[in-house]
Amino acid sequence: MDFPSLRRVGMDALGPATRALMVGGAVLTVGTAVVAALEAPPISISDASIVYLVPVVIAGALFGTWAAIGTAVGAFALYDFLFIEPLRTLAIEDPREWLELLLFLFIAVAIGRLTARESERAREAARRAQESQALFAISRMLATTPSLEGAAPAVVERLARDATMDRIWIALETPTKPRILADTHADRPPPGATTVWTLARTRGELPAQWVRVHVGQIRGGRSVVTASALFRVKMEADGEVLGYLWALRARHTGMPAREHTRLLALAADQLALAVRREQLAGAATEAEVARRSEALKTALLDSVSHDFRTPLGSIRATAGSLADPAIGWTTDETRRAGLTIEAQVDRLSRFVTNLLDASRIESGALRAELELFPVPELVEPVVTRLRPTANGRSLRVELDADLPPVRVDPVLFDHVLTNLLENALRHTPDAAPIRIGARSPDPACVDVVVEDGGPGVSPSTFPRLFDKFSAPARRDEGGRRGLGLGLSVVRGLVEAMGGEARAVRSDLGGLAVHISLVAGAEPPADADDS
Amino acid sequence: MTASAQILIVEDDEPTRRSVVVNLSAHGYSLEEAAGGADALRRWDARRPDLVILDLGLPDIDGPAVIRRIRREATTPILILSARGEERDKVTALESGADDYVTKPFGMAELRARIGALLRRAGGSSVDADGIVTLGAVRLDAARRTATVGGAPVELTPREYELLKVLLSHPGRLLTRGRLLRAVWGTAYSEEGHYLHVYVSRLRRKLAAADPSGQTRDLIVAEPGVGYRIREVDAARS
Repeated sequence: MDFPSLRRVGMDALGPATRALMVGGAVLTVGTAVVAALEAPPISISDASIVYLVPVVIAGALFGTWAAIGTAVGAFALYDFLFIEPLRTLAIEDPREWLELLLFLFIAVAIGRLTARESERAREAARRAQESQALFAISRMLATTPSLEGAAPAVVERLARDATMDRIWIALETPTKPRILADTHADRPPPGATTVWTLARTRGELPAQWVRVHVGQIRGGRSVVTASALFRVKMEADGEVLGYLWALRARHTGMPAREHTRLLALAADQLALAVRREQLAGAATEAEVARRSEALKTALLDSVSHDFRTPLGSIRATAGSLADPAIGWTTDETRRAGLTIEAQVDRLSRFVTNLLDASRIESGALRAELELFPVPELVEPVVTRLRPTANGRSLRVELDADLPPVRVDPVLFDHVLTNLLENALRHTPDAAPIRIGARSPDPACVDVVVEDGGPGVSPSTFPRLFDKFSAPARRDEGGRRGLGLGLSVVRGLVEAMGGEARAVRSDLGGLAVHISLVAGAEPPADADDS
Repeated sequence: MTASAQILIVEDDEPTRRSVVVNLSAHGYSLEEAAGGADALRRWDARRPDLVILDLGLPDIDGPAVIRRIRREATTPILILSARGEERDKVTALESGADDYVTKPFGMAELRARIGALLRRAGGSSVDADGIVTLGAVRLDAARRTATVGGAPVELTPREYELLKVLLSHPGRLLTRGRLLRAVWGTAYSEEGHYLHVYVSRLRRKLAAADPSGQTRDLIVAEPGVGYRIREVDAARS
């Protein structure tokens, strides 16, 4: 129950006792007028004292038990004084009237107390509801926003409103100076004071108390406030002080109400938990990164031992056989053995290049020296070089006419295209066609694609295809394993050149890897050209 | 003719050196070996070989220093052996005066092809007395500034003509990007690599269009990050 209109005329500025007296007087006056009207002709009710219960209920509802009792006693005296013979005295002639009046007093006090208690309960329930709503809102903000940093501004806004504070900010403890996580008035530096109300909390059920603490140096900020009181609540988790929740409000408004204090205390707990969670999550991420890097190293060693040992084994075996005097090699056999060794060395050499590229990408030491190149200039040398290793397979090159030149590092692009083509050649059956295409979807970009008609990989693995040592590279028939480095190098190199690499299903049926590159303008024609 | 040529190989890795010596000897060259830069220069002074194969990663003397020392005295072809991923070193060596390079690990057939091309170039310019440069089907008439492929005329802009001329005048030799730019566009353009790539591309297209036989298809070979060379038509056929 509330009288907003009374608030508006400045009731808030008065003390609660004065207010009770004023309201009590007013309702009693109205009550008396009603009683007088009822007992006078033409109604002439012999005893209208029951009407006085209304002021008692109002007083009880608005101001509690004591106001209700006061009003009851006042009504009792007024009725006696004004309506019981002899009039204008507190004396009572008829002993029956005495009894009636005492009965009235008793009932009035009882009803007043009941009303007061009920209304207090209702108010408390409303306060609790508001408080839990505020708390719920704050928990939600903290839980649903990915980072504490993101949630904190909304939290302080909400707290300032619900705890009726002029300003709220969160200061996190750091080894140097406190870090302001959020502030409802972030445009101004947080103020400080020489005395700060600190919320003293006990572990038990005892309510928290605001304790005035004289802080030697000014805490909380640079500018000192005098017209406002400064409140702070410790944010603590696992026995560690993580920071303080600060609040500021005008000194004359007094101490925060109990529910506001409770809200601030609970919000500080929530915030402390959120801070702690974020700290732990950070630690967990670091642990995860370390774990993954360890896994990567293991995979690398695995890949190296496979990718390197296989050709090395083949070279070793061939060379050993060549050196064996017991074998009568024909000239043709010797030549083939030599070619085997050459092919295996080329394979090893490719792995070394990829490993070097991968480590340069990883360490950030890769610097692309970008220059504008016509696409055919880039594509044709690679195709010419690899065609002999394609065993006469279909290797179609379809470059659109009038492609703009692309901005690439020619050496890196060579590695990219070599990797893609070798990948396609190695991982698809001999009958599957391979196509290299290039087109310019818009003047700022050229899309180069290497696609094949092989069995392809499952679309669900596309996003992971460019990861180092990703599984799909090992999926194909023949039990081939190892590699896994090629496509990750492709992506690393393409990104170093400002481009993008992505995998899709090819119209040919297999895998299509698209490389989009930054295009530039053709240089002007000769000034002296006719 | 070239088969009797004397070659100095400078390489500190013994197995590599041995293999090259065995192979080239079998192909009729006579070889001189050096394991370091100082040794190499001594042998160079004593024997004046017809060609030098030089490993860039020598233990004692910096590769380019050896190249410059040789260049001060002669135009003897120098072929560089270099490890992968050292494009800058290759460019430095070429700008110091080296003629070409092969990357380790290299194939012997490739090495011999390069040696053959360099020795032929050293044997004499392919420009004849009338100022006509001929390479396979391609003919440049310096006096008229015209080009033909297999007799069919090719319409070239002045810069395209210049570029083709510079390339054809150094068959078998790897010309760095900077060198080509300076020769064709002038020193102010030595950093404008994209001019070169685009012009080479146009040149290739025009030559291919004039030559349905496809002989000129791979005439100009790109060495990514380094420069261009003219593929030796004759060497490739032999």
